[in-house]
Amino acid sequence: MVLLLLVIACKPNRQNGNALVFRYNESKGITTLDPAYARNLALIWPVSQIFNGLVQLSDSLTIEPAIAKSWKISDDGLTYSFTLRNDVYFHDSQVFKGGIGRRVTAHDFVYSFNRILDPLTASTGLWVFNALDVDDPSYSKGCRALNDSTLELRLRKPFPPFLGLLSMPYCYVVPHEAVLYYGKDFGRNPVGTGPFYKKLWRDGEKLVLRRNPKYFECDSSGLRLPYIEGISITFIPDKQSEFLEFLNGKLDFLSGVHTASKDELLTRNGNLNPKYAGRLNMLTGPYLNTEYIGIIADSLLLKDRMSVLLDARVRKAIALGFDKTRMMLYLRNNLGFPANNGFVPTGLPGFGTPTYGVGFNPKLATELLAQAGFSNGVGLPEITVSTTDDYLDIFEYIQHQLGKLGIRLKIEVLPGAAYRDMLANGKLTVFRGSWIADYPDPENYMACFITSSFAPNGPNYIRYSNPLYDKLYDKAMLCSSYIDRLTYYRQMDSLLVSNAVVIPLYYDKIVRFVSTRIEGMTVNPMNFLELKNIKIKR
Amino acid sequence: MLAYLAKKIVYTLLVTIGVASLIFALFNLIPGDPARMVLGQHTDSASVKAARTDLGLDLPVGIQYLKYMNDLSPISIHNPTNQASNIYLDKTIYGNTKPLIRINTNRVIVLKAPYLRRSYQSRQPVARIIAATLPNTFYLAIVSIAFATTLGIGMGVLSAVKKDSLLDKFFLVISAMGMALPSFFAAILIGWIFAIVFGNITGLNLTGNLWVIDDLGEGVHLQLKNIILPALTLGLRPLGVITQLTRSSLLETLSQDYIRTARAKGLKYSTMVIKHAIPNSLNPVVTSVSGWFASMMAGVIFIEYIFSWKGFGFVMVNALNSYDVPLVIGCVLTISIIFSIVNLIVDILYALLDPKVRLG
Repeated sequence: MVLLLLVIACKPNRQNGNALVFRYNESKGITTLDPAYARNLALIWPVSQIFNGLVQLSDSLTIEPAIAKSWKISDDGLTYSFTLRNDVYFHDSQVFKGGIGRRVTAHDFVYSFNRILDPLTASTGLWVFNALDVDDPSYSKGCRALNDSTLELRLRKPFPPFLGLLSMPYCYVVPHEAVLYYGKDFGRNPVGTGPFYKKLWRDGEKLVLRRNPKYFECDSSGLRLPYIEGISITFIPDKQSEFLEFLNGKLDFLSGVHTASKDELLTRNGNLNPKYAGRLNMLTGPYLNTEYIGIIADSLLLKDRMSVLLDARVRKAIALGFDKTRMMLYLRNNLGFPANNGFVPTGLPGFGTPTYGVGFNPKLATELLAQAGFSNGVGLPEITVSTTDDYLDIFEYIQHQLGKLGIRLKIEVLPGAAYRDMLANGKLTVFRGSWIADYPDPENYMACFITSSFAPNGPNYIRYSNPLYDKLYDKAMLCSSYIDRLTYYRQMDSLLVSNAVVIPLYYDKIVRFVSTRIEGMTVNPMNFLELKNIKIKR
Repeated sequence: MLAYLAKKIVYTLLVTIGVASLIFALFNLIPGDPARMVLGQHTDSASVKAARTDLGLDLPVGIQYLKYMNDLSPISIHNPTNQASNIYLDKTIYGNTKPLIRINTNRVIVLKAPYLRRSYQSRQPVARIIAATLPNTFYLAIVSIAFATTLGIGMGVLSAVKKDSLLDKFFLVISAMGMALPSFFAAILIGWIFAIVFGNITGLNLTGNLWVIDDLGEGVHLQLKNIILPALTLGLRPLGVITQLTRSSLLETLSQDYIRTARAKGLKYSTMVIKHAIPNSLNPVVTSVSGWFASMMAGVIFIEYIFSWKGFGFVMVNALNSYDVPLVIGCVLTISIIFSIVNLIVDILYALLDPKVRLG
């Protein structure tokens, strides 16, 4: 038996060792490649290699042309006209006549957007087109193709971040032939326009994408993108195994750091462990994700009408009572920025320097507690905070720090599904929340707490309702200039933190480890994986 | 025998209905909304409503249950005029169906293959997901149980025959370690030693399946060696159990009167052990092997997880985490059917090994 095992083992691995293939692992697995369901990064990464939209984001978050070569916005901010490129083709597929991909037209965008809006599609991005004027009879649900290369979108009311929203994968173009042909299995057989096409996909084993030789984008020297031959995605679920395979040279890229490998890869200050210098490159940058503590502070919504959480001084004492800088150093190896500003994270233009945030100030926290009638926490009831198990270490730290001030925190750890359900139904008074930007505009963060976003209809889980906040939001939506809107956004953000209904914990950081054989890999605050520009050294 | 089989089949059917009903009820009782689990961070009312309709969760719970059982049952009632109900005509879903009785214009009784629906998360047919992963877990279980049984019986017999010798003590230590080592730890340890540290010598991979796709997606190649490490790890615990069981059972058999008689009549010791003692002491081992085999099919999760072996256990845990109700029910039903079949085989094996056992 041992002999048999040895004979089997000694057969060499049949891999394309020298192929210019970028290899990464997706531990969460990929359930679909249909852009209509691209709801998280695990799906967005491969989907964005296969499809394109009208516009795309640069690494510095500016909106750049993709299939649309130019656009015009009417003076009233309601009509968006896009002129499309005439050299964009769908991937070759059996769904087309002769198996050859046809040219993309404005009609394809009308079809794709209408598909998202159709409740029968049950797209997770239905909300993206909330701004479209679906009732105007001269448009098809707010969209119309004036000719093959002119697309017009009509909004209900001005919504300045709309262009950024169109960069989302939900707005990618799909051919109606493929959707009709494959039906519910379109997500298994995607046909797009992107730099790569799906070559082979075995669920849970491997997804291989290959270079699209007819891709429309070229580099500055006129060389057609992408440079690499393909992308190979494995689905190793265990992070430890993924890490070992990465160190073993079987993967080119590792995103994020798992607790088990954190101290192996990083120094205490969050730099790359010197022993890996020369073998790996570490890329970091701000990630548009805010982790926060949310507090329902409305007497009409709380079971306990006399809850201490109704007192802003108690809430502020909590916000002031723990040191976020040390929290990030000790628990996250500085892979994140202590949230000493508001809800809008570092990384969005205009939100880099703390101006109105709340830092660590135990003295002031003690004073506020005393003013609220709980000197040194005497008489203050225990406060329950709900979280999922992946943030337990953070809350144990906060519990310890607040304990020194006399604030007793009880941590309730809930399973993911129960946590989401209870959060949506207002059953959690103090909870851990997070918000990842869908598009690069602070509006995406600010809209979380307008009255119309009340959970379960939106992400306003703290059920915050402030007429002044809503008014500022409406005013911001009337400004077409980002700089003008910024003034209102900042006022709104400071309202949230000064009321201490939202206590930002930290702004996330992207960390990527890349094999030195990969050149040209960059990071962007949306954490998109841009592979059309990378090169691989042989 | 036939009556016994019929009884067992009815029993299996009842278990299947019971299991499906129980899981269905459980998912409706514990907090969590599958519609919210398929959505991202945006859960506005229109999106939730569309997701609920898509997943069939907009109907009253009782109706949802009846519809599910109707899909699951090989004999089901459908409305041929209703587009949502006459999907039984869709061969891609049910395969070859046959309308048996037409009750009236909008009621027809149909004979079909049980339909396990589509996964909430991947929208793939549940039967397809199970069919793609179950064989992998099955191969893994077969190889590891074969490894554990052959080595375990061998070690157990040697231990019993050479009782209290150094070899006996060595095997006892090995089997105790096999039983005590947690599988996730053993997996990481074995993987790290054989695939990473000595990877160049052994040529083994830490992760991978029986069939490996090359990085360019041009071909799929059989890599038998990828089963070695997961099967070895999975077989460690049964190896320990089988060794100890064989040893104690054989020692007990060797102390029986008929063995002494056989020895007194001048039968050679080795012939007596091989021909009489070993076969008579294997009954508890067979019970243990069958038990292990069934639980392996259900519980290889850690091994599959760490070695990235595309198996059934991993699919089920993922389904549980994401509230993928059709996939969970499909997986549990499969396990319960496997248990029933394994039990049936064990009962028949008992009857063959021990003439005192009668089926029925």
